[in-house]
Amino acid sequence: MTPQPGSRAVGSTPAVAAIEFLQGLRAGLEAGLAPEAAAELAAAALPESVRKPVRGVLARLRGDNHEDEWGFDEELAETAYPVFELLYERWWRVRCTGVGHVPSHGRAMLVANHAGSLLPFDAAMITTALMKEHPLPRWPRFMALDWAFAAPFLGPFIRKVGGVPANHANATRILDADELLMTFPEGAKGSGKRYSERYQVQRFGRGGFVEIALRTGTPIVPVAVIGAEETYPMIADAAPLARLLGAPFAPITPTFPWLGPLGLVPLPSRWRIEFCAPVDLSPYPPEAAEDRRLVLDLSEAVREKVAGAVRENLLERGPAFG
Amino acid sequence: MPEGRRIAIAGIAGHWGTALAQRLAADPSVERIYGLDTQAPAVELERTELLEVDIRSPALTRVLQGTGVDTVVHCGILWYPEPGKPARTLHDINVIGTLQLLAACERTETLRRVVVRGSAAIYGSEPAGPSFFSEEMARSVPLRSSFQRDIGELEAYFENFADRHRDLLCCMLRYQPEIGPELRTPLSRYLSLPVVPTQLGFDPRLQLLHSEDAIAALHRASLNPIRGAVNVAPSGSISLSRAIRIAGGVQLPVPHPLFGPTLSGLGRRLGVGGLYGDAVRLLRYGRGIDNRRLREELDYQPRFDAVSTLRDFTERRGTRLPAPGPGLPAALSANAGAAR
Repeated sequence: MTPQPGSRAVGSTPAVAAIEFLQGLRAGLEAGLAPEAAAELAAAALPESVRKPVRGVLARLRGDNHEDEWGFDEELAETAYPVFELLYERWWRVRCTGVGHVPSHGRAMLVANHAGSLLPFDAAMITTALMKEHPLPRWPRFMALDWAFAAPFLGPFIRKVGGVPANHANATRILDADELLMTFPEGAKGSGKRYSERYQVQRFGRGGFVEIALRTGTPIVPVAVIGAEETYPMIADAAPLARLLGAPFAPITPTFPWLGPLGLVPLPSRWRIEFCAPVDLSPYPPEAAEDRRLVLDLSEAVREKVAGAVRENLLERGPAFG
Repeated sequence: MPEGRRIAIAGIAGHWGTALAQRLAADPSVERIYGLDTQAPAVELERTELLEVDIRSPALTRVLQGTGVDTVVHCGILWYPEPGKPARTLHDINVIGTLQLLAACERTETLRRVVVRGSAAIYGSEPAGPSFFSEEMARSVPLRSSFQRDIGELEAYFENFADRHRDLLCCMLRYQPEIGPELRTPLSRYLSLPVVPTQLGFDPRLQLLHSEDAIAALHRASLNPIRGAVNVAPSGSISLSRAIRIAGGVQLPVPHPLFGPTLSGLGRRLGVGGLYGDAVRLLRYGRGIDNRRLREELDYQPRFDAVSTLRDFTERRGTRLPAPGPGLPAALSANAGAAR
């Protein structure tokens, strides 16, 4: 590999590069430059691998980072990605199948079962599976429960990595923009299940996702996630606390809240994610969304497809730990 | 139309009333401009006849009848207290004022169009809900601050008025908050602070409207209004943290119960004043509205999007924080002139 022009890293140690950076920074500051501008110039002394993140941070400090109209911050998502990749590969050893069923462009809706009482990692793992395994990956948008956006720190974070409040208006707008939308129609009924009820796929709301898919002409890709149920086994629900916080449920697990922050470490269950063949809604016109019977039937068909894939993968996986 | 337009502007002494009158005065299709307010505007207006009247008083009907106008533009809705218009009078000015103005419009036979410069506060400021409210989604969330409730109330009167007078073209403009270095609004000053208090753990999505787009859209709607409500906002959105970084400030996150007191404390010291109640919620949860009707039906294309608004604001303001106190407007207009 030939060294890039301007790169002086060849043959110099990290210490030398750091000293050169600081000298450059000082010279810039003495010349009357603003701190950010001086740092930008001095960054030329750094090796390529360090220079890029430094420039990225400096651009962010100037407000030069990109955010889309929903507040999704792709750079931030990329920064968080290695952590999720590590969880995906080492912690949960996720096995992903059927990723080719997710269209690489155009509108599409991923409909998955939901679990993981304390922190539903299923959305993050489906995203990681797509980014890692798909030949033409793209960041999906996901619908999150309203109360999550009222929570300090959590709300802005969810938004910046692609979450939007779950409602018809948002889902329709995302699909009209030909994006990939991830939904969990079980909602809190899925993520707030007791451990004893694991892998029993709950009611899919009132079929609102089918209505939106029909109206926007969107194919539905059913997704089955195995393993999220065992990450935080919920043994009880502290309902009065949940009411106090305005949350749909307050999980108590064998480790949380007893071990404090340590209780937030998810258990290392073995995961499987299957993307099933898309449900084609193109035979139905958009007006079919008004037909309650059809909407509820389609919703149930999608639910059965997810539940069937959950059962199959559960058998194939075997014990959760080991 | 063989004859020119005859337009009355309620709230001529406010920033937007004055700016609109200046624009209309330069428009040859406008024959006469009448300005209604309790006080005179800060600058001399050409081709504008000032009529001293309080829009809350019944005398308004007689005054309006005498003008024979075809269009009334209501720019008298206040978002925050102004000199001579303290906080306790806002409800009266906004709600009763609009009610009286509409009653006067009812008795003005020459009238064809009514345009109200309202607010997107009708959509509230909630953590969830649609990320982009379109016009028919008004009142889908509970209105919490007194300003939001005032807007809700006056819009209800306006809708009722429009229903009873189908022959009139009634247009409600729902504005997102404007910023501009020449504006003395609390939000403009807030973003000009060197150290900007924010609410710990929150980073709202905002749409701040460029003052130039604000006045150009008002000008367009005054001459060619469309029926119903129109959202006036830039395209896209920007998070508060990024807006502050673009404006060259440093964030100071404070726990949100302390946000109001911190801001008014800091405001007093820097002479920037406190924020009005509605903005505290806005700066916690934000609000996004859809501007398709503005672009496609009112046919106004905003020149600035949510991000370039902030960039232009910072550029025109210059790097220095404007000096507080009475020197402010002069310094700012000199600054704005240099940038053109």
